[in-house]
Amino acid sequence: MPNYQLVYFNGRGRAELCRLIFHAAGVPFEDIRLDHTKGEWPGEWKAKCPFGQLPVLVVDGKMLAQSKAAARYLAREFNLAGKTSWDQARADMFIDEFDDISTEVYKFASEKDEAKKAEMSEKFYNETLPRHIGYLENLLKENNGGNGYLVGDSLTWAGLGIANVYDLLGGTDAPFAKFPLLLALVKRVRENPKVAEYLKTRAQTSF
Amino acid sequence: MPTYKLVYFNVRGLAEHSRLIFAVAGVPYEDFRIERDQWPNEYKEQCPFGQLPFLEVDGKVLAQSKAIARYLAREFKLTGKCSWEQGLTDMIVDEFSDILSEMRFYWYESDPEKKAALNEKFNTETLPKHLGYLENILKQNGGGEGFIVGDSLTWADLAVANSNDWLRLVCPNPFDNFPLLTGLIKRVRETPQVAEWIAKRPDTPR
Repeated sequence: MPNYQLVYFNGRGRAELCRLIFHAAGVPFEDIRLDHTKGEWPGEWKAKCPFGQLPVLVVDGKMLAQSKAAARYLAREFNLAGKTSWDQARADMFIDEFDDISTEVYKFASEKDEAKKAEMSEKFYNETLPRHIGYLENLLKENNGGNGYLVGDSLTWAGLGIANVYDLLGGTDAPFAKFPLLLALVKRVRENPKVAEYLKTRAQTSF
Repeated sequence: MPTYKLVYFNVRGLAEHSRLIFAVAGVPYEDFRIERDQWPNEYKEQCPFGQLPFLEVDGKVLAQSKAIARYLAREFKLTGKCSWEQGLTDMIVDEFSDILSEMRFYWYESDPEKKAALNEKFNTETLPKHLGYLENILKQNGGGEGFIVGDSLTWADLAVANSNDWLRLVCPNPFDNFPLLTGLIKRVRETPQVAEWIAKRPDTPR
């Protein structure tokens, strides 16, 4: 078994998908969380990172940057990427869509002007998000009625990805209220024994 | 051989990487282009997320430009020789997506003064920072006179070469201070299948 280190800050952010994959697969890893207030970042790590940013995945001393590239590598290694080339592509498609949703959230989350922030958040939750989730609900339904998985007939990193989006949106059912198939899928993923065990014990962080 | 149809607007944009992959692989496909003023049309219903591009393979549909490009690269053996190399190609391609995201702040700004300031910042700080990292990664791959990942052409090299076309929309001579990347772009563009495609592809503003 290779030696795995995942290096990020003390938050879910762009590392949580990798963490979920490690836990769902039952593979141990060193979950390194750098504290920038103690000089751990930039510290010695920034110069070592391929693009000067976190997260990075370190496998037997070799580094892989870019959160989705790292997550996909792990998914592939742990048989969570999809069973066929086409399924892998469909999983990639869902992951990219989740990334589009996350990008919209980060936009208003980082807006400093309070009034503008409220306006952006309003538009996101009332228009943008329902549109994205509506498409996801349809695509889930197209996969054998929608009571199973997003891709194929088993859990993939795409399922972990939508569970991660659930947390990003505040960890409540509200954003998914009108999309029952997707909400049920999120619950199934969160109730997967290894995932549930991790969710019970993971650090509570502000992001 | 499956039947491939790539549906997008009549621009290079987010589909060009896939078109380059088809060209290098020598695989025929229908390069279906929709003029902007014809959109949305009946094709929108086929789009998994209501957006272009999408790829149709024997009637099944795939959305998201990078997922499409990666699928094609994998089918045509252009993703790297092992799982780790695949990860490295993904990393390189994602970095270019990050560069494009930063470029979009400038691109979509309507206030002329803010736009000029954003353009300046992108051209003199943001872009050189990203390209510097990429130049370094290329150098670390056996000196940088070959390919950016491994020892053969991958879709990551095509992403580098393709970026020259869209970066030049906002930044004159973006690779001037990056000799190894410049060399790679030249080598890729001179690859016979790439050169042939560049010569015959529709000439569009972006």
